[in-house]
Amino acid sequence: MTNDLIERYIYAATKRLLEKIRADVSEELRTIIDDMLTERCGNVTPSEKDIRVVLTELGTPQELYEQYNPDSDKCLIGSPYYSTYKYVLKIVLICASSGIALAAVISSLLSGFGNTDFLTVNSFIIFFRDLFVKLFETVPSVLVWAFAFVTILFAIFYHKNVKIDNTGNLDNLPPVPVKKEKISKVEPIVGIAFSIAFLSVFLICPQIFSFIVTETNTWIPIFDIDTIHSTWYIIVLFGVLGMTRETVKLIEGRRNKKVMITSIVTNALSAVITVIWLARDNILNRDCITGYFTESGSVIPAVLSNFQLLFMGVILFALAIDTIDVIVKTLKVSK
Amino acid sequence: MNHDDIVSGLMQELRRGTLILLVLNRLQKPMYGYNLVKELQNHSIPIEANTLYPLMRRLESQGLLKSEWETSESKPRKYYQITEDGLIVLKKATEQWKTFSQNVDKLLSEEENNNDK
Repeated sequence: MTNDLIERYIYAATKRLLEKIRADVSEELRTIIDDMLTERCGNVTPSEKDIRVVLTELGTPQELYEQYNPDSDKCLIGSPYYSTYKYVLKIVLICASSGIALAAVISSLLSGFGNTDFLTVNSFIIFFRDLFVKLFETVPSVLVWAFAFVTILFAIFYHKNVKIDNTGNLDNLPPVPVKKEKISKVEPIVGIAFSIAFLSVFLICPQIFSFIVTETNTWIPIFDIDTIHSTWYIIVLFGVLGMTRETVKLIEGRRNKKVMITSIVTNALSAVITVIWLARDNILNRDCITGYFTESGSVIPAVLSNFQLLFMGVILFALAIDTIDVIVKTLKVSK
Repeated sequence: MNHDDIVSGLMQELRRGTLILLVLNRLQKPMYGYNLVKELQNHSIPIEANTLYPLMRRLESQGLLKSEWETSESKPRKYYQITEDGLIVLKKATEQWKTFSQNVDKLLSEEENNNDK
């Protein structure tokens, strides 16, 4: 039998099903409803009330959809990933908040105490005003980004069945870490917080890297702000590589091959993008600096004329030290 | 504590697995869905149509059932029947179920006897 209510019910239950099964399920539902009505009414034509009773008995269209949908038992992040997701999310949110707070403090310190007389009431007012504004503006959006990043990552792990649990095979159970093997949680958390602070400072307020010319009391930014903004993806990649390295340390909690290889790979990639980034000759605010020193008749300090090279050297040196440190510590404990 | 809710949840969990076994068992001869609902209800196994139909479809996608629309009757019906793979699974699962339920019965009766003493 055809009835408008039945057709609307079937449509509501099947409209979100895969197209290849939709017609078949619709037909199947029609026969169930017909059978149920026949059982209820026999040869008598069912009334609107009978139809409503049968459809209510069958469940809501949403319930039927849930039953028929082959993906209904799946969720965005399910077991066994959910517990690790919650753990990582908690840590990342702590790191993101502390990283952004650190960046806000650095930036507010410079605006509060940079251009005004040191330790005056006015400088404190500017500092706290700037700090609150920056925290209010940036913390929510950074937390949303961090939440989205971790959630998407774990959703991919869950749906692609990426193996993150090694405890299924008893032989793969890692030995209890001896004291020297353990990586304290503080180390990666601080690392992630610094990566976020680096990202925030460079992306939001790269102008805080500036120097003061005491004669005129003016601040000249070291970096070319437009270039920094246009190369945001390199900065983000650098930050993400740093966070990946620290997250692996956090999850493993011990010095092992996995931590060592991740550190080597992420550091090597960071070194490559550092070189690519700083090989551009317009990262430094060269025109402004040269202009200022030429106009004022002073000589450009050597540190500024070679700043880009120096900056690259410092980053590469830090990455090299970190890599060597990880290798040495891992080899030491694996003996 | 609502004991009825806990018991209802527990029974639902216990029924979920055994339903597959019963559906495979009954579908050794071809049947359409509503016919099977009635058949199970006649054996005091209550099952709702909105549970059974999607279950049969899932078993079909696993290769344990096959289906065919029968259009020669007064109204078209989809008949389901167990496959060769379904029979193998049914045989193994039935053996395991029998051993398991016997052991459960034995343990539960022991407990009852101890309580009676």
